Amino acid sequence: MTTAALIHVVVSGLATGSIYALMAIALVIIYNATRTLNFAQGEMLMISTFVGWAAWEALALPLVVVLLVAVAAAALLAWAIEWAVIRRAISATHFDVLIITLGLSLVLRAAAGLVWTHDQFPFPSFFDNRPLVLGPVRVAPVSLGIIGGSLGLMLALGALFRWTRLGRAMRAVAQNQRAARLMGISVERVYSASWVLAGVVGAIAGVLIAPVVFLSSSMGLVVINGFTAAVLGGFGSMPGAVVGGMLLGVLENLAPLWLPAGIKHSVPFLLMIAILMIRPSGVLGRARQRKV
Amino acid sequence: MRTGLAVVIALLVAAAAPPALAQQGVTDSEIVLGGSNSFSGPLAFTGEQATRYGVDLYFKVVNDAGGINGRKIRTIYYDDGYKPQEAVANTKKLVEQDRVFAIIAPQGTPPVVATLGYLEEQKVPLLFPFQGSPVTRGRPWVFNGMLLYDRQAKMMIDYLVGQRKFKAVATLYQDDEYGKSFLTAFEKNLAPHGLKMVAAESVKRGVTDVSAQIAKLQAAKPEVLFLVLTPGPAAQALKERQRIGWTKVVAVSSGPLTDERYLALAGDAAEGVEGLSLWPDPVASDLAALKRYRAEMQKYFPKNEPNRYSLSGYFAAMLFTEGAKRAGRTLTRSALVTALEGVKGFDSGILPPLSIGADHETQKQGFWVRVEKGRFKQLTDWLKAE
Repeated sequence: MTTAALIHVVVSGLATGSIYALMAIALVIIYNATRTLNFAQGEMLMISTFVGWAAWEALALPLVVVLLVAVAAAALLAWAIEWAVIRRAISATHFDVLIITLGLSLVLRAAAGLVWTHDQFPFPSFFDNRPLVLGPVRVAPVSLGIIGGSLGLMLALGALFRWTRLGRAMRAVAQNQRAARLMGISVERVYSASWVLAGVVGAIAGVLIAPVVFLSSSMGLVVINGFTAAVLGGFGSMPGAVVGGMLLGVLENLAPLWLPAGIKHSVPFLLMIAILMIRPSGVLGRARQRKV
Repeated sequence: MRTGLAVVIALLVAAAAPPALAQQGVTDSEIVLGGSNSFSGPLAFTGEQATRYGVDLYFKVVNDAGGINGRKIRTIYYDDGYKPQEAVANTKKLVEQDRVFAIIAPQGTPPVVATLGYLEEQKVPLLFPFQGSPVTRGRPWVFNGMLLYDRQAKMMIDYLVGQRKFKAVATLYQDDEYGKSFLTAFEKNLAPHGLKMVAAESVKRGVTDVSAQIAKLQAAKPEVLFLVLTPGPAAQALKERQRIGWTKVVAVSSGPLTDERYLALAGDAAEGVEGLSLWPDPVASDLAALKRYRAEMQKYFPKNEPNRYSLSGYFAAMLFTEGAKRAGRTLTRSALVTALEGVKGFDSGILPPLSIGADHETQKQGFWVRVEKGRFKQLTDWLKAE
């Protein structure tokens, strides 16, 4: 194995890891606001990417417009799900809501199959697949593009949380819902906004990754890696989600270089168990202590 | 009142009375066939195409022309989502409740293998399953459909090593029965040439990144890289190969993989890829039978594109029709088996003239193709693997 090949494998892992990180961020956004896990996150990504693709097929739109269509579809879908389903279950336990989202994921996947079949489709890419040769190293623009696009989105999200009114409201709700309500923050609106935001993050991740893994009704399964990434990083922490995602992507790629390829999929879970044993709150998670 | 009841009972009895020479699934006016297949899960596209747009397409044509010896054919399918236990349940339902005459074109090695024991016990013909693992060879009630994997592997090695003189071959295979049957057969057929596989890497279903496997294969410096995968991962492998600029190696797809979906997914990364093709080009072939297939597709399912999965189902229905015609008006299961075994030099117009015989293998040939400008171009005539 040459160093050049190793670099390529790592960069490729970082690209996949960026997508895991975006999925983890989407999960964390909803979790921080509502304390529930959205298992339908992957299917929301899949549906919005399909909608963008359908617009592209029908109208031959430029890719930027396709992205906007996917984002709009995701926002609408997330808003509708929150309004029509999740809000009705507001008095239910978190566990109930989790099962509801699990059910939603199955419904959405079946619906996508009915509309678009369960086949796989090629998806147009912003970035070229042919390698850039930088001295002895070859890197694929598509990997760099995914990493760059994801990092850009992460920075934008960071700015949103830090400097906007909505971001502050979301952080306040995450910290203490009752106090936030007493301060005049509409918790319902924060719930709704976090679903929409998570949907939008998913749609961008979907458009970035679809040229690589192809568009299909089963592409939403990436949510499992997103979940693992979020746990690795410390569930609830945004920077943790990014670190967890990248770590997962790179390790998944490096492991089969020295271990049999079949083990690739168990590496993340072995790692997760190891990290949870050493640091139960994840790499960047804050240890939660209950004061008496 | 009482006579009325008696009449009703008499009518019911008459309706339920079996006609002379009753064979399950065959009436005076109808033959019922069925199959468990993938209409969801990873092989849903293939399953849907092979059955509803393949088998049923041919039977629509036959039925509209008066049926087989005066009987129309009706088909029943259930979804197993590529799960063996569901395939077994579906198959039992087909045999015991729907009372089908035979099972036609079920798909996938694990589901098909799971139903073998039951079907043999019930003596129900299993016709042309869409799978190529040799486990279905040599069974009295099974007629194989797809060219069996060991024959495919032999054909590929004989051609590449024997004719083209390549020496270093590597394999990227799916980590299941499909991938492993090929890998074993490749290794077995390399041995007589005094060669060994230089590297073999596996890929699991639903994988997102194959860069590590491709990097390891590249390090072994093969001249030929076999891809024994499904369309998605195979297209990913080709894109990965393009991403690292590994253009020297000849990528070769296995028979089940050589299809249009895989080309469409890989885009320009598929240029120059070679493969074993089991079917003439369903979209572009000039063969009269292929033109007829496309015209019939256009007539019955104008929205559905021709493809080799529907073509394979269409061909299975054609073979069944040939067998059932030969068996004559007294159609029984054993008569069908005898009739199919007697098929000699049958010219379907799609594959070379075909004789089935005692080995129950219907497809024994394939030909070599190379992708040029996004389409498979035929490189050789039909190759044999006897």
